[in-house]
Amino acid sequence: MTAQNITMQEKDMSRVHARQRVMKIAVQVGLYAFLGIMALIVIFPFYFMLISSVKSMDEYRQTVQTLWPRDIILHNYVDAFKTANLGTLFLNTMYVGVVSTILSLVITVLSAFAFARLEFKGRDAMFAALLATMMIPGELFTITNYATISAFEWKNTYTVLIVPFLVSVFYIYLLRQNFLQIPNELYLAAKVDGTSDLKYLWKVMIPLSLPTLISITILKMMGAWNSYVWPRLVANDEAHRMITNGLRNAFTDSTGDVNIPVQMAAVALVSTPLFLVFIFLRKYIMKGVSRSGIKG
Amino acid sequence: MVESKHPWKAWIYLAPAIVLLLIFTVWPIVNTLRMAFLENYNIMAATVPGVTFNVGLGNFQQVIQYGGFLTCLGNTMLICFLTVPISTFLALIIAVCLNAIRPLQRMLQTIFFLPYVTNSIAIGMVFAAMFNMIGNNFGGEGELLITAGIINNIIGIFGVEPINWINVGSSYAANVFVMVVYIVWNALPFKILILLGGLQSVNKQYYDAAKVDGTSRVRTFWRITVPLLSPMIAYVVITGFIGGFKEYSSIVGIFGEDMGPTGDPRRLNTMVGFIYDALANHQGRASAAALILFGIIFVVTMINLWVSKKKTHY
Amino acid sequence: MKRRILSIVLALSMLLAIFTLAACNKDNAGEISDFNFDTTKEVKIVFYHTMGEALRAVLDKHIVEFNKLYPNIKIEHSQVGGYDDVREQIKTEITVGDQPNLAYCYPDHVALYNVAMAVQPLDGLIGATATVTRQDGTTEQVGLTEAQVNNFIDGFYNEGKQFGDGKMYTLPFSKSTEVFYYNKTVFDQNGLKVPTHWWCGDACPAGCDTSLEYVCARLKAIDPNCIPLGYDSESNWFITMCEQLGTPYTSATGEHFLFDNESNHAFVKKFREWYLAGYVTTQELSGGYTSALFTKTDAGRCYMCIGSSAGANHQIPKDKDTGELLFEVGISPIPQANAAAPKVISQGPSVCIFKKKDNQEVLASWLFLKYLTTTVEFQAEFGLTSGYLPVLETVGTNEAYAAMLAQADGGFNLPQLATKVCLQQEKAYYTSPAFNGSSTARDEVGKLMQVCLAIKANANVDQEIKNAFKAAVDECKYQAG
Repeated sequence: MTAQNITMQEKDMSRVHARQRVMKIAVQVGLYAFLGIMALIVIFPFYFMLISSVKSMDEYRQTVQTLWPRDIILHNYVDAFKTANLGTLFLNTMYVGVVSTILSLVITVLSAFAFARLEFKGRDAMFAALLATMMIPGELFTITNYATISAFEWKNTYTVLIVPFLVSVFYIYLLRQNFLQIPNELYLAAKVDGTSDLKYLWKVMIPLSLPTLISITILKMMGAWNSYVWPRLVANDEAHRMITNGLRNAFTDSTGDVNIPVQMAAVALVSTPLFLVFIFLRKYIMKGVSRSGIKG
Repeated sequence: MVESKHPWKAWIYLAPAIVLLLIFTVWPIVNTLRMAFLENYNIMAATVPGVTFNVGLGNFQQVIQYGGFLTCLGNTMLICFLTVPISTFLALIIAVCLNAIRPLQRMLQTIFFLPYVTNSIAIGMVFAAMFNMIGNNFGGEGELLITAGIINNIIGIFGVEPINWINVGSSYAANVFVMVVYIVWNALPFKILILLGGLQSVNKQYYDAAKVDGTSRVRTFWRITVPLLSPMIAYVVITGFIGGFKEYSSIVGIFGEDMGPTGDPRRLNTMVGFIYDALANHQGRASAAALILFGIIFVVTMINLWVSKKKTHY
Repeated sequence: MKRRILSIVLALSMLLAIFTLAACNKDNAGEISDFNFDTTKEVKIVFYHTMGEALRAVLDKHIVEFNKLYPNIKIEHSQVGGYDDVREQIKTEITVGDQPNLAYCYPDHVALYNVAMAVQPLDGLIGATATVTRQDGTTEQVGLTEAQVNNFIDGFYNEGKQFGDGKMYTLPFSKSTEVFYYNKTVFDQNGLKVPTHWWCGDACPAGCDTSLEYVCARLKAIDPNCIPLGYDSESNWFITMCEQLGTPYTSATGEHFLFDNESNHAFVKKFREWYLAGYVTTQELSGGYTSALFTKTDAGRCYMCIGSSAGANHQIPKDKDTGELLFEVGISPIPQANAAAPKVISQGPSVCIFKKKDNQEVLASWLFLKYLTTTVEFQAEFGLTSGYLPVLETVGTNEAYAAMLAQADGGFNLPQLATKVCLQQEKAYYTSPAFNGSSTARDEVGKLMQVCLAIKANANVDQEIKNAFKAAVDECKYQAG
């Protein structure tokens, strides 16, 4: 009797377990289905860009568009490269991106260090004031800055694309938050040891906040890659033209029917470097962006 | 915090940043204030010797009275109040789901992050192409439809008639839909990342407790997940609003610099677009509009902060 | 507390300093009175334009020629982008006193620059009788001789004095206009006549076969999948209709924006009917230059196209793969509303000179501009390379130019044909008044055209047209105010 009871209970239990397991599987299936659909939606524009970029104009203009190109026309990429003169644009953008990233990192590290580790009068007030400037629409700066750089005779130089945006309050803020997480004891110990600030910065703080620095690097490079309004205004000569401007110019000045496949090929070419960087440094970008984000 | 023996050291570290900020941030702010209160200020006219401008509120008055201003303000508000809740909610759901799975988690996370590393003008061109119809005179008797575009093809599978999304004669609602889809698509990665990061640092004990109590998943979501995530939610909402108020290049990407479909330019113009328009010939008005925008962002951010202080649980 | 007061005082004094700084301005040089050019001192002048590589080569070649006469004038020229880029660049440069010496311009650009009174009036220079001895020993009068003035095509030359103040600010450089391209093969096959006017009205018997409306209807019946007519520029369409009908558009003096009137409503309404019937499309409505629709042979093609004469090489219907001609093209003047007073727009760059403190720079710029605009060889070669129209009547005396015109045909030599047609309508060229805000008016009427054409079939048309016109005028006033 007791033995029977026990087996009954066991059976019930296992039934419950089974039901729970089924539920769990169902939930997991549901989760994957939802995420899968969302992922498809997110990724679809890229897919569309890629398939369109290898279609012929005729195929693109079919009443019902094909989801897989009939003929793969890689020549669109050659056309795109030539039409938009992407070679020069890539080089210009790389140059501006690399130089401004390096300079920006130096400035950001020094400032963040001062705000995070050094004590000086008016520090908090100044930091607050800096943060306040982040709320101001950047567009507001454009007209005055244009006058300023013209007065400096910087127009149509690389300088004008690099210098005005070297300081980003946002990056200083990100890095300061990161520096603050490093235990103060380390700094005190270093002070006792007689380590100089700069050495401490180089040996301890920078390695410890490498993910943030890498994310800043990437954000800055992306900034160069994506900048549009400012370069259009101050350096729109062929020698200094940046990639986004070149892309837009190439397809708005064109005579004739906009060749969307070639346009898509150009967009794909412009997007590729960012994706490559992202694929190789994914961890750093995501870590950096999220870590700095939360501590607001 | 350590009292440095040499307070001047800090200033040396800060010097490059301060110099650049003074020239390229502080001076423009001051100059904007100046231009905003000089009536009809115009940089070209200002170069003529002897020209003076009255100090007053004329620029603000002109901006507010201009018919297009309300359109811009309305569009900007619409963008904020549609895209921020939608993208935040979607991001939250996706983040919670991502957090609940193990296999493929990283791959899916990567996919959801992809839009973050794109160029908003370039991908805007892709969105425009997806919604674009090729032909002439849509909806008229002489209609000629060569291709309705991939999106219309897809909804056609479900029996929906082709919709004129962004072309001549398209409705405002359709335009807004495309705009919202693009902006949400663009905004998701950052939000998912932040919220997922938050979820991953949440103490598992809360959930274990909920499981023991037999609390339903929906209830767990509203009663535990949302409150625990509230600081991050507040953060993405605030940054989302600020970004929404500054929206411009997404719309250029889709609709071009006319900021609207052919046949109704400026229909989707935003505050920033308004500022750019005015920047060309009416720097006084542009400055006034920029100050108005700043005021709005400031007020909305304050409200957001106030609400989140009351609602967030640390 | 003390510190706070101190900081407020500091901030106030900073603001004060800024206001005073803003109050002192750069002085602008006025009208020049000394026309003696010093050929011994080196002068550097800067010229902004939109020329592509081939045209820059032509310019460089003639700069070499010019430098044989004036070795002391160093010319730096650069392509700044398109016309709008030139305007934007110069506009901002003027605010810091850094504008070039010469620039490609449209009349409205000049009106804009003149808000800062930055453009040099040319009347003094044109009339200057001082002489200058050139390197090769010859002398020339600084100003224009009567013969030189007369050699300019009138419609082009007069564009320089469209500013409402009676002064001359620009010289025409190279011009283009609109012409009517048609698919001659299809026209011949179907016995269609080239339309000479827009629609049937008082002037012609109803149902005559030379109205554009009639031809559109016929073509639409022949090929329902076509859009018979592509009109590239909505703005030109509107403005040209105003000119042809003699209805008000804008004025350089007094009330600027006059285009909101009944007769303009009427023609816009008419064209909307055409659009609804599928007769017509435009650059904005079709999303690209309509030449693309004209040169293709599948659904959505155009059989007629009104576009720039300078774009004739884009109207050649070449097969994408074989490069063979798909059909023959014909070119004729655009349809007219009033055959007695034909009107067609004059477009294309003029050149203006900017005021400079150094008189010598202004004189050097003038001598260079005069050289470019009055030298037949340059005008001919530039026209040959660009497809634009030379601004001189005697350009036909240039052998190369005459030989080129003789080759004109409806195939690969279409640009020559376009030029030939343009040269025959010399008297019809008009330019609209230029003032600060005229480019806004131009943009707005273009948009207005789009808005009105796109009015839905079931809408209250008259009311919507009225609203659209009013909105356009309001926009113009806001932008200009």
